[in-house]
Amino acid sequence: MSSTATGIGAPVRRKEDFRFITGHGQYTDDVVRPGETKAVFVRSPHAHAKIKNIDVSAAKKMPGVVDILTGAQLATDKIGNLICGWMIHSKDGTPMKMSAHPALAASKVNCVGDAVAVVIAETTAQGKDAAEKVIVDYEVLKAVIDPAKAQAKDAPQIHADIPNNTIYQWHLGDAKAVAAAFAAAKHVTKIDLVNNRLSPNAMEPRAALAEYDEGTDNLTLWNTSQNPHVARLVIAAFVGMAPEHKLRVIAPDVGGGFGSKIFIYPEEVVCLWAARKVKRPVKWTSDRSEAFLTDAHGRDHVTHAELALDANGKILALRAKTIANLGAYMSTFSSSVPTYLYATLLSGQYNIPSIYCEVDAVYTNTAPVDAYRGAGRPEATFVIERLVEVSARQLGLDPVDLRRRNFITAFPHQTPVIMAYDAGDYNASLKKALEIADVKGFGKRKREAARHGKLRGIGYSTYIEACGIAPSQAVGSLGAGVGLWESAEVRVNPTGSVEVLTGCHAHGQGHETTFAQLVSERLGIPFENVSIVHGDTDKVQFGMGTYGSRSGAVGMSAIVKALDKIEAKAKKVAAYVLEAAEGDIEFKDGKFTVAGTDKSAAWGDVALNAYIAHKFVGADLEPGLKETSFYDPTNFTFPAGCHICEVEVDIETGKTEIVNWTAVDDFGTIINPMIVEGQVHGGIAQGVGQAMMEGVVYSAEGQLVSGSFMDYTMPRAHDLPSFHVGLTETKSPSNPLGIKGCGEAGAIASPAAVINAITDAIGSEDLAMPATANAVWSALQRATPRQAA
Amino acid sequence: MAMTMTGEVQLPASREVVYAKLNDAEVLKACIPGCEELIKSSDTEMSAVAVTKIGPVKARFKGKVHLTDLDPPNGYRISGEGDGGVAGFAKGGATVALTEKDGGTLLTYNVEAQIGGKLAQLGQRLVNGAAKKVADDFFKNFQAHIAAG
Amino acid sequence: MPAVSMTVNGKAVSGNVEERTLLVQFLREQLRLTGTHVGCDTSQCGACVIHLDGVSAKSCTLLALQCEGANITTIEGVALSDGKLHPMQEAFREHHGLQCGYCTPGMIMAALDIVRRNGNDLDEHTIREQLDGNICRCTGYHNIVKAIAAGAKNMKGAAA
Repeated sequence: MSSTATGIGAPVRRKEDFRFITGHGQYTDDVVRPGETKAVFVRSPHAHAKIKNIDVSAAKKMPGVVDILTGAQLATDKIGNLICGWMIHSKDGTPMKMSAHPALAASKVNCVGDAVAVVIAETTAQGKDAAEKVIVDYEVLKAVIDPAKAQAKDAPQIHADIPNNTIYQWHLGDAKAVAAAFAAAKHVTKIDLVNNRLSPNAMEPRAALAEYDEGTDNLTLWNTSQNPHVARLVIAAFVGMAPEHKLRVIAPDVGGGFGSKIFIYPEEVVCLWAARKVKRPVKWTSDRSEAFLTDAHGRDHVTHAELALDANGKILALRAKTIANLGAYMSTFSSSVPTYLYATLLSGQYNIPSIYCEVDAVYTNTAPVDAYRGAGRPEATFVIERLVEVSARQLGLDPVDLRRRNFITAFPHQTPVIMAYDAGDYNASLKKALEIADVKGFGKRKREAARHGKLRGIGYSTYIEACGIAPSQAVGSLGAGVGLWESAEVRVNPTGSVEVLTGCHAHGQGHETTFAQLVSERLGIPFENVSIVHGDTDKVQFGMGTYGSRSGAVGMSAIVKALDKIEAKAKKVAAYVLEAAEGDIEFKDGKFTVAGTDKSAAWGDVALNAYIAHKFVGADLEPGLKETSFYDPTNFTFPAGCHICEVEVDIETGKTEIVNWTAVDDFGTIINPMIVEGQVHGGIAQGVGQAMMEGVVYSAEGQLVSGSFMDYTMPRAHDLPSFHVGLTETKSPSNPLGIKGCGEAGAIASPAAVINAITDAIGSEDLAMPATANAVWSALQRATPRQAA
Repeated sequence: MAMTMTGEVQLPASREVVYAKLNDAEVLKACIPGCEELIKSSDTEMSAVAVTKIGPVKARFKGKVHLTDLDPPNGYRISGEGDGGVAGFAKGGATVALTEKDGGTLLTYNVEAQIGGKLAQLGQRLVNGAAKKVADDFFKNFQAHIAAG
Repeated sequence: MPAVSMTVNGKAVSGNVEERTLLVQFLREQLRLTGTHVGCDTSQCGACVIHLDGVSAKSCTLLALQCEGANITTIEGVALSDGKLHPMQEAFREHHGLQCGYCTPGMIMAALDIVRRNGNDLDEHTIREQLDGNICRCTGYHNIVKAIAAGAKNMKGAAA
């Protein structure tokens, strides 16, 4: 519990809300610069085609057109390609094969929506009119969409330098040990799964506004980014747009990310390039149709998985073979998602002696695929939690019982797939969830439902994830191109108020509130006197941004370290103020005291004295009170928990209703339970969306069929129930606050819980996501064919 | 996005007359809904401009029309591809067969079509209906043209 | 370009717009009232909901010229005249009915119309059904539903 109403553990109402509920948020599209022009992209309607010619002559004469730029000019100007920043090596030791990814395609398009030209115009409407007049002559090629067919000998070759469209053939684990375990197993469970492709659909579409200052040769980019510093680094060092110190990236209010705004996208590069060319600010704001085509999608795995068990239901080994679809180009972190963020979590909460996983990553003529809420871990959880549930059913065991028999109970626990779980109590979260969900009463509810023509089912998901991404040396050894520490700078003003500059970025998570809670508690100063600054490379020196539930575990730990330094320095100042020895100064509840005396100085007095510097000389102590810290975590964190989903299926229509949802999660230390619960709710909704509603569909020719909210089903209020959320707590030993992270848990846990529940209800495992009414009805028909009437 | 569609229409004229009209650019231009331009560059090739609206997407398609498998007076195959710019593209063809029936001609058609780009993204649920309407309108117009002599 | 005049948040405003200019574009680009958001291009998401003569409407589905003489309220005009937050705004904050904030203005405007149509005592089912035109990707709706129920109650008797 919190020691104060605004400290750690208190459900403090959010600082950021006032601007959002009054319409005063400042999102990228809300920023307007003098002389601003608008960018409209000309995009390929073909999934795969050669560009024979682009004729912009008629378009250039349209009203309001400032300029029209093409991929050929981009190449002439030596603007570099976009890159994937995580090196994966194939099992034969060869490095992954990454094709060129120019911001504007010059010679060939590889997916519908690939940009081939950009119109810079006075208004968006004029830009669109002119874009209609750009004539692109394509030679259409055969496309390959299905990842399972991408490696076929007769499949169209997407990139000339990448044979069989295969980016890497990676593996992890001990194949021999797994084979031996399977040979000796009493029971083997085999499943084939498709982890459906998802469109992230943050409600704010992506946007970029670039401005060039001729006088200073500086470029500024406002963009919808989860990590503006990484964007600046990539755009400077790899794209070669400008030196890092001549490029400022500002990510103001960002309307949701879910991973999709981590990446560096072509449009940002093009706006910067165009702004320098036309010498006016250039703004692009995606419309939703473009977002569906160009935001990096999530998931898209095809997997065969097997679980070996002994006669007592003890798991002996797991093996999985996955084909991961990375789309037409390798997005910024795409390579890591189906490898080190996926296979490393296949042990779940279970003691599994050996695991072997093979992953082939392939190119297809579809939008790039990269991290989406959970990124690899939902895919892993779906594999292991479906395997466990199906195994229990096949063995005639209670799925809860089978889980308990295999839970890891001693920590630390080294899994066979890299991860070393440091703390957890899986039985505790399971027990609490069973109570909240009233699992004892399920049989009665099921009989009651049957009387109303409904099939009631219950499904479990005891998930684990690796968050707090991540120890830099560890991820470096796995191929990451960057370190994943976080920075914090704590600036104490002369009046005692505090600004914290963080390299994390909030786009819904409420950092302005939770980070201020930490500072308020630690320094004993009012919550209102703390401001959190983020999202501007000119203000914050460097940071790695927000994703992978890392802001609490890594970002706040950096603040703790900086606050440690602040306290040490403030004690030195206090010693002069109180005319005592530094070693005798104690700091508590915002007050400095001399041990064993009634002499004290308030926080504000010490802050002021640090700056006026009247009580000490520079030779003894530097004036000022500002400290910086870079915190590198010692391990991942391992949030875990149990989600229980109860559904009712209408036998006649297949329509499935979630009638009860229980989530009990262990996130370690909770800073703000209100915000944590909100993160859980949102994660569950996205997981339920994947399980029951959402799915990106391309036609065989590569046309995006699910390209609007009319056709891509987003969960709406009436699709979801209210959720029962509970918490258990084991502290993470890997960071000073004991935080594990909560942002992705719901999306990781929930798909398996839903599918386990529906398959329980209908008595068939033959059900793929999304389990729409039609899919469930069809599964019912396959399972129990109707007799002729 | 691919789709197929079949249909038939009874015409009050001989197969020879119907076949000749099916090769007459002026007749085709008058009968193709939204057709603004149809210029014959050879006996089997035409260039065309037509405006089509599918759901929220309206586009002016510029494209080529080819006549193949010419088998007078039994039928032919007409195919084409149109580029609608930002709206996307449409391409497709129809096999047209003429048989004698009830003193006139029964025209049966077998259409397959493909659309892409924004048309497919936003209009795909409406495409079948829209394509059927285009075909219905065409043959209604064509029927009227034949009836008028 | 034709001229258009309307009342927005109690103030008379006018401007010249193209025939095709949408109300949301007029509000955002000409009046710089950027609280009204655009989350889609097919009238599905509800981020742009405003009140047109007291009734909720999606401002992406109205032409600016259609609103000649109309009385428009946007999220910027919802706070009470004494500068205090409206009970519905207050309820969204109190119940954590928002995360990234992007759908929030539309949600609040839709919520106010749900209260107008259904009164101050709203059950969960009614709120969920009637929120059909508004998409949120962050909250899973749980806290939005709670906020609307509480906001509706608190509007009873308050000068709204």
